[in-house]
Amino acid sequence: MRIEVTGATREERATSLAGGLAGLFEGDAAISTVAGGRAEGLRRLAAFDARSYASQRNYVVGGNVSHLAPYIRHGCLTLAEVRDDVLRRFGPQAGHKFIAELAWRFFWHTVYARIGDGVYSEQERPKYNRPRDKALPDDVAAAQTGLACIDRSLHDLYSTGYMHNHGRMWFASYLIHHRGVHFSAGARLFDRHLLCGDPAVNWLSWQWVDSSYSHKPYIFNKDNVYTYSRGQYCETCPAKDRCPFDSTYPALWRSLFGVEMPEEGNRGNAGRGQARGGARR
Amino acid sequence: MSESIVWLHGDSLSATDPALRANPDAPAVFVFDEDLLASYGLTFKRLFFIYECVAEAIAAHPGGGEIRRGTVPGEVLAFARERDAGRIHVTATDAPRFTRYRAELRQTLPVELYEVTPLVEFSGQARRFSQLWREIEEEALSFTPGEG
Repeated sequence: MRIEVTGATREERATSLAGGLAGLFEGDAAISTVAGGRAEGLRRLAAFDARSYASQRNYVVGGNVSHLAPYIRHGCLTLAEVRDDVLRRFGPQAGHKFIAELAWRFFWHTVYARIGDGVYSEQERPKYNRPRDKALPDDVAAAQTGLACIDRSLHDLYSTGYMHNHGRMWFASYLIHHRGVHFSAGARLFDRHLLCGDPAVNWLSWQWVDSSYSHKPYIFNKDNVYTYSRGQYCETCPAKDRCPFDSTYPALWRSLFGVEMPEEGNRGNAGRGQARGGARR
Repeated sequence: MSESIVWLHGDSLSATDPALRANPDAPAVFVFDEDLLASYGLTFKRLFFIYECVAEAIAAHPGGGEIRRGTVPGEVLAFARERDAGRIHVTATDAPRFTRYRAELRQTLPVELYEVTPLVEFSGQARRFSQLWREIEEEALSFTPGEG
């Protein structure tokens, strides 16, 4: 059935499209401030400065990320042309970290090409021994966990269709490892909301945090949140005196998994390694 | 009368889509996939973003096009019939659903595939990113051939 969309403004076109797609979406007909299309993707690419990306990318407050993921996910921009533009403007040294992140997306898609719908199921045995609940808790669905780093990340997701990559990693780790929820519930939530939601990148990144597509689970602590939110999340957090992340990595590991943390330590504490898939940006 | 159509899908929504570019006069069709959307329950934010990508791509395409909803193979074939088209052009993607739909379309009309320029040429298998990165790093940090 053909869909006719009319209207002079985004809001009018949204109303028109919502009528044409009645019954095919969840929730209300709100739209994101993030506009679709190659022209907008190119504008964002031109505005992106790769030089400070490596040092600023993990900051959820006042950081520097490209916000290109939705445009790459839907083919408005290709990985190759984004890479070429970054090389042309900044060269291979300054562009190195960002291009490595483009390569993560490429990597997840090589896996997708190989296993197809296998991305939706555990690829390896998780490296912990704990059952997981398949349902998303109500307080998570409502962005009312009482933890600023989680609720603010969820609020971003629900209102704009975007969540900073570091926020995605905190949220995924919290949901799986602190709340005991199966990664599939989180991946489905991201599918529903993320403008850049991509089956391979999203589901495999959740498995990366879980440890069903990685050597060990990803965890984070309060120091990490404090640093990368420039203190803003923790200082305003309703739970700042009873933060579940306020601990050392070995102690968190012991309390979450009941065993000693492996020698190599946690990737989240290693400075690098914040990065992974979460599709993001 | 047009001889062929371009099928646009969610992984390649751009006026620079290889299938669109190779067939400037062929009308394009994008289908909001009712089967997929019934199982995913996406928010309208996502659907509107996709719509804006499609609308811009079609507006810039000399052959024009339209947006539909329904089952993808059924709608693409209906569009082809309405345009009296005997061939479908489409850009390849890794999605298994795409492969299934393409196979279904092929039972009725020839389907010609186009490839997006990849980040790097890589035909091996890597279990972990570090393994892949070791193999592709040098190429990934080089311009696409012809673009330098």
